[in-house]
Amino acid sequence: MEPNGLNVEMILVMAMIFLAVFLFIVEWVRVDVVAILMMVSLPLLHLVTPKEAFIGLSSNAVVSIIAVIIIGAGLDKTGLINKLVGPIVRLAGKSPSRIIVAISLAIAVISSFMQNIGAAALFLPAIQRISKAMKIPISQLLMPIGYSAILGGTITLVGSSPLILLNDLLVPFKLQPFGLFDVTPIGLGLVVSGILCFVFFGRFILPRGSREGDPAEQGKNGEETDLLQEIGDVYELRTPDDFTHYREPVRVEDLRRRYLVNIVATTEPPDYKVSSPPLDAVIRSGVDLLVFGRDKDVRRLAESEEMILKEGLEVFKEDAADHASGTVEAVVRPRSSIAGKTLKQINLRDRFQVTPLAIYREGEIYRAQIGDLVLRVGDAIVLHGTWKRLQLLHGEGSLLFTTPVDVEIMRPEKATFAGLWLATALVMILVFKIQLSVCLMTGALGMVITRVLSIDEAYQSVDWRTIFLLAGLIPLGIATEKTGTAAWIAHTVLNAIGTVKPIVLLTIIGVLTSAFTLVISNVGATVLLVPLVVNMAVAADADPRMAALVVGLAASNSFILPTHQVNAFYMGPGRYRSTDFLKAGGLISIIFIPVMIGMIYLVFGV
Amino acid sequence: MAIITISRGSYSKGKEVAEKVADRLGYQCLSRDVILEASDLYHIPEIKLVKAIHDAPSVLDRLSGGKRAYIAYYKSALTRLVRTDNIVYHGLAGHLLLKGVPHVLKVRIIADLADRVRNEMKQENISEQEARSMILKDDQERRKWTLSLYGADPWDSALYDLVIHVQKFTISNAVDFVCEAAGLEQFRTTGEAHRKMNDLALASRVKAALVGFNPDVAVTCEYGNVLVFVANPERTTRKLREKVKSLGDEIRGVNNIEVHSGTALPPDVI
Repeated sequence: MEPNGLNVEMILVMAMIFLAVFLFIVEWVRVDVVAILMMVSLPLLHLVTPKEAFIGLSSNAVVSIIAVIIIGAGLDKTGLINKLVGPIVRLAGKSPSRIIVAISLAIAVISSFMQNIGAAALFLPAIQRISKAMKIPISQLLMPIGYSAILGGTITLVGSSPLILLNDLLVPFKLQPFGLFDVTPIGLGLVVSGILCFVFFGRFILPRGSREGDPAEQGKNGEETDLLQEIGDVYELRTPDDFTHYREPVRVEDLRRRYLVNIVATTEPPDYKVSSPPLDAVIRSGVDLLVFGRDKDVRRLAESEEMILKEGLEVFKEDAADHASGTVEAVVRPRSSIAGKTLKQINLRDRFQVTPLAIYREGEIYRAQIGDLVLRVGDAIVLHGTWKRLQLLHGEGSLLFTTPVDVEIMRPEKATFAGLWLATALVMILVFKIQLSVCLMTGALGMVITRVLSIDEAYQSVDWRTIFLLAGLIPLGIATEKTGTAAWIAHTVLNAIGTVKPIVLLTIIGVLTSAFTLVISNVGATVLLVPLVVNMAVAADADPRMAALVVGLAASNSFILPTHQVNAFYMGPGRYRSTDFLKAGGLISIIFIPVMIGMIYLVFGV
Repeated sequence: MAIITISRGSYSKGKEVAEKVADRLGYQCLSRDVILEASDLYHIPEIKLVKAIHDAPSVLDRLSGGKRAYIAYYKSALTRLVRTDNIVYHGLAGHLLLKGVPHVLKVRIIADLADRVRNEMKQENISEQEARSMILKDDQERRKWTLSLYGADPWDSALYDLVIHVQKFTISNAVDFVCEAAGLEQFRTTGEAHRKMNDLALASRVKAALVGFNPDVAVTCEYGNVLVFVANPERTTRKLREKVKSLGDEIRGVNNIEVHSGTALPPDVI
């Protein structure tokens, strides 16, 4: 098939592609807004019909993703997955390598049936607990497990957005769609190779914990000591009876700003106690203060403000006891309503009476004026409060607690139903060969009807950004194909690289997709590249289905930059820097391509 | 027990007033010493520094941030020198560079243009026209300088605690006024005032150390807790972070130091 020459429509489509790619990179607006922009401007430019512009919203892929998210939320609600983690850890024993292997395999399998980021969020608290209990630095665990969550997305056709999208993108070419488990051998190969990489080369590519020093020492002391040294501990102070007589009023926030010491509770004459007093509360004479801070800061405060530092806890002994209150690390969830806001704006102190002590972000610890920092997904906030108050905050759902507070409204009694409906959906897909979206939506509906989760909870769990990103980019794919732009680019590229063997072509496609996915998101890369590579494969006498499959799989090859949602989310809790991802992700990304091509060669015989 | 800054136009007798005040109160008199200290501390040729802090920033300076760097060095040297207290400073923009310090008495000495021209003619042995044009040009340059860097006009009397017109008042009268004002309770060096001065000196020192990495860096310091603000998170380079960390160990008096990016700047930032 010889392509037509370049025409105005093709130039327009290419301009729109460049615009989309450009906006993806500079991020002047969010990626899903770029997708909606495409959805609206393509019909206005007469590059697609109005019907085609919105066809994405009713596509098999979008409906499947909605259903997968609801099913994932249902599994989450019943605590089914938490139940799985316990036995897995027991099975793994005490060796860090075995723990990494066991949890990585588990998260990979789970992530093959739910969104990667959902699986990653689900596992985080468990991993933190294991890290503390087994004294393994968290940075040694999170990255391999996060990568496995991403790789696990390639095990089934519903594991990641690019694969869910794949069959829809094959429709215009009248190619045979892929089955749910057609990709499983390849996905498993990728997961196993990823895990092996960390087992054999982990010590070279993983950061050595968050502090410098002897790694053995690190292992012994673990994160807990780190946290204590950096954030401090509770101390009790008393203000003298003439405290307010000869000085300007001293407020709670003054002490925090000047000495980085947090007032956690005060006494109020005659015999009241106020926990997490408001920031503008004036410190009075003759009161006891329960404070949280580093030893040197608390001493400095006591000396400069002439307060009495008590030897141990007296008045607040009961209140500060382990059973009553404590310090937890809470991570800003993906899609959390507090991301993009400051602690001052969300006002945890007044609303929940918990005291934010510090924020961990990209390996840095922030303690001064944290109220003004704009929170990002993956930031770990260290909070102090009574368990009761912390539980309330946990219930609100915007923060993911890495320390268990056991209050989430779980419905463990519904676990059987949740499992049953997942199985039903799978049977419908595998045995009755009904369309993916119908089967998955049946599973989702079943969960709502059997009250695993309410319909409102189901709606809330849906990530509209993903939905519109997918739906908005689909018309761009249609326009690329319909106007002949895809065929034109494919031929131009093929003419440039000359005749190559199909396997070489697939490798090139794999590398190209990996590069695209880093800058324009996995969905963007898939939508733009599938029509292109199918045309290329047809022209080069290679199997177009395999070319499309390579794109769908390689779109998950996103490890080098913390741009993938899972990487961004684990960055805070793992205390990782961008360079850590570059090092470990570099190796995994390089190994990804030969393993993928090799497995495709073995399974499909290309 | 105070820091006195005397702002003056050229040939306005301000220097004489400053020297006499210092003499009477037994204070140290500072002016060119700050340039020498800055040049010494940051290894910059004196002539370059003088030019940089005297002339108003050009368009190129505004883009490159070169001028801001020199001013950061100068401010660091100044705050370091005046920290010891009992100082009369009659150099560049003391009232602006020491903003926020409670025990600074800000004085401006002004004189009639005709008197200034006469003084210059006498000292430099030049014609009246030459003297007049030089003084006007100098005033213009000063005004541009403070306007572009601090958004303040040096002729705005609200910037000072005391403005003395040396014409009917003699130099000796002016010295009396300044000395009396300096003895007032408001300008006593309290513990709080001393702390604020130290914090300003710390912040200035940190800024001078970082301005080479990023000319837009802004710094605050309160009770030894230093915050370094970088407007653009992408510009928070690793080098800058490492330098900030090392400063925490190098500079005495720093209790805690952090880099914050993408947050609104507090009003007392330098």
